[in-house]
Amino acid sequence: MESIELANGVLLLGAVLVLVGILSSLVATRFGAPLLLIFLILGMLAGEDGPGGIKFNDYRLTYMIGSLALAVILFDGGLRTKISTLRGAVGPAISLATVGVLITAGLTGVAASYIFDLPPLEGFLIGAVVCSTDAAAVFFLMHAGGLQLRRRVGATLEMESATNDPVAVFLTVMVVQIIQAAPTSFVDQSLTIIETLTLQTVIGGLVGIFGGLAASSLLNRITLPGGLHPVLIIALTILLYALATVLHGSGFLAVYLAGLVLGNRPLRASASIITVNDAATWLSQIVMFMVLGLLVTPSRLLDFALPAGLIAVFLLLIGRPVAVWLCLSPFGFSWKEKTLASWVGLRGAVSIFLAAIPTLSGVSHAELYFDVAFVVVLVSLLVQGWTLTWAASKLDLALPRTGAPIHRSELDLPGQLALEMVGYPVRAESAIVNGAAVPPWARAAFVVRHQGILTPSQAGRLQANDYAYYLAPPDRVARLDQIFAPHAELLASNEPFFGEFTFKGTVTLREVAAFYDLNLEAGLMNRTITDLFAARFENKPEVGDHLRLGSAEIIAREVDDDRVLSAGLQLDVLSAPAVKPKRVGIWMRKILRLN
Amino acid sequence: MEISDLLKPEAVVAHLKAGNKKQALQELSKYAAEITGVNERRIFETLLERERLGTTGVGNGIAIPHGKLPDFKRMYGVFARVDKPLDFEAIDEQPVDLIFLLLAPEGAGADHLKALARVSRLLRDPVMCEKLRGAESADGLYMLLVQNEAQAA
Repeated sequence: MESIELANGVLLLGAVLVLVGILSSLVATRFGAPLLLIFLILGMLAGEDGPGGIKFNDYRLTYMIGSLALAVILFDGGLRTKISTLRGAVGPAISLATVGVLITAGLTGVAASYIFDLPPLEGFLIGAVVCSTDAAAVFFLMHAGGLQLRRRVGATLEMESATNDPVAVFLTVMVVQIIQAAPTSFVDQSLTIIETLTLQTVIGGLVGIFGGLAASSLLNRITLPGGLHPVLIIALTILLYALATVLHGSGFLAVYLAGLVLGNRPLRASASIITVNDAATWLSQIVMFMVLGLLVTPSRLLDFALPAGLIAVFLLLIGRPVAVWLCLSPFGFSWKEKTLASWVGLRGAVSIFLAAIPTLSGVSHAELYFDVAFVVVLVSLLVQGWTLTWAASKLDLALPRTGAPIHRSELDLPGQLALEMVGYPVRAESAIVNGAAVPPWARAAFVVRHQGILTPSQAGRLQANDYAYYLAPPDRVARLDQIFAPHAELLASNEPFFGEFTFKGTVTLREVAAFYDLNLEAGLMNRTITDLFAARFENKPEVGDHLRLGSAEIIAREVDDDRVLSAGLQLDVLSAPAVKPKRVGIWMRKILRLN
Repeated sequence: MEISDLLKPEAVVAHLKAGNKKQALQELSKYAAEITGVNERRIFETLLERERLGTTGVGNGIAIPHGKLPDFKRMYGVFARVDKPLDFEAIDEQPVDLIFLLLAPEGAGADHLKALARVSRLLRDPVMCEKLRGAESADGLYMLLVQNEAQAA
């Protein structure tokens, strides 16, 4: 009897916590506070030092809940990512997720061993625990938090955060093993490192890709009653995660890839799968952060608050930026993009969760790692989480949401698979109304205007409030979205989205530079605009992709067959506000004179 | 950088007669040659050279053809309203009826860009464009173009 009452009590408590978490989101959005932080704090309030007074010290259970939640979150992240948006982001993301993670871990490790006066290896363990960008936090920000970044930065960060966990997990596990075992020779160690890392990646990758393929064909082949499709998918997610882990592969990598595969293949019941997954992801976020909040002992944190805070500051201001600069510079990212990428290095549940590994393995002063990780995550969520949207708009890299996202209506045309019918609402701020061109593979079908149906030739130029319908190959439809998407940049300022002047793709940069006195590197001069976009975006440029050209920015306007046919040039002087600089100048002069 | 620094009252044309883009550029070059004393042919060729890279028709019926020539001492503008809107290969494919020609000396650098910025900002204002389209005479056009500035400052 007692155990049944206990179980019911736990249920009641859990439900109340989740409910409070959901309701607190109302308050959080009102004050712009990072929601994940709220969940974490709620967990702490419910915990042993808070009014809740719940004693919860089960690291093993936390580890399990954390794995489950992360698997769901990462799978959902993959599911929502269209492969086309990853174009140009794969190289930079992988470089950040591997070399970048190592650099951050190494630098932070040195700082930690200095601050805590630990042996280098143990310092490095702290570095390893906090070195990965948290996918849950980043995805949350990109998908639910309303922050839309310019495509390449956004896609790079998203993919980095999804793929860097294996490296961090692996580093942590490896260091724990080395600390525990009598150290063998350095060469042996390095060999094991490379072996294990390769194994983790390869197995995780294989399980993810083949699992995803198998899941999609299973889903499309069997007919299940009513609402079972999404449940099947969630069960398969957990299966793939566990399978990869049991085979000594990276479970996180596996589920992310499986999500990516499923999200980019024609899928039965995909609408209900996405809806259910969305709910599952929210629940996972709430539960995971609350449990982590419950697990920590805030009164103990105070002992470490100052040194751990120092590590957090070091990580935010040096560890992450150095890695970002080294990893992204070869890919031609601008300083603004690199600054933002450094700042989006949010730490989150993964770090806390990794900090549980030393505890589970019984390494000496394990609670130190846990508490440091917790403080670092708190600082990161608080400082970065709160300022990110602001930073993105200051750096001109945000595409703030403009009301509802683009809604495409799709119609299967029975009897054939080559084309489907898609319809878009046209808005005044849609790129199509502002000079974007419809790719030749999309056939205009008809236009609905003032409740009448017009043929494309009757309709002429599209206007706001039209509904435009096209026949297009299903695999390319996603690329029509961007042409109809409302570009907030158009609303935020009255600058033309595609720049002031348009140049043909065949024009060389020398010609453009000569006309507008742009200072370009000599190496770029003989390239054409088309070539430059191809090189910088891995041969997959898309409408709206931006590149910096000296004191101007160039924006792809027309793209066909992955080649930029024309691009707009936005001169900095043309987008600079008319009056402001003068005032700043006056103030600067005043200040200088005063000094 | 003010419009009045670029544009003199005699450089405003209220009724430019041209059947196509090339004719319009030719006509504008003629006016520019009168004002600047530089060879008409050379101005025309500079403008054509710029159009070859991509159109200066920036949309909403507006074109800002521009170019640099070593012969100029300073920057010159010519504003013209076309009687019958013409195809300028503009980015939005709308016919163009308001043209602001801007010529700069070689090496004008930042000033050239500032002047472009000024003109572009002026003509980006849809209210301004409607007023320009409704103006009676060249004098009226000039007043509009310059007057707007007094308000903005």
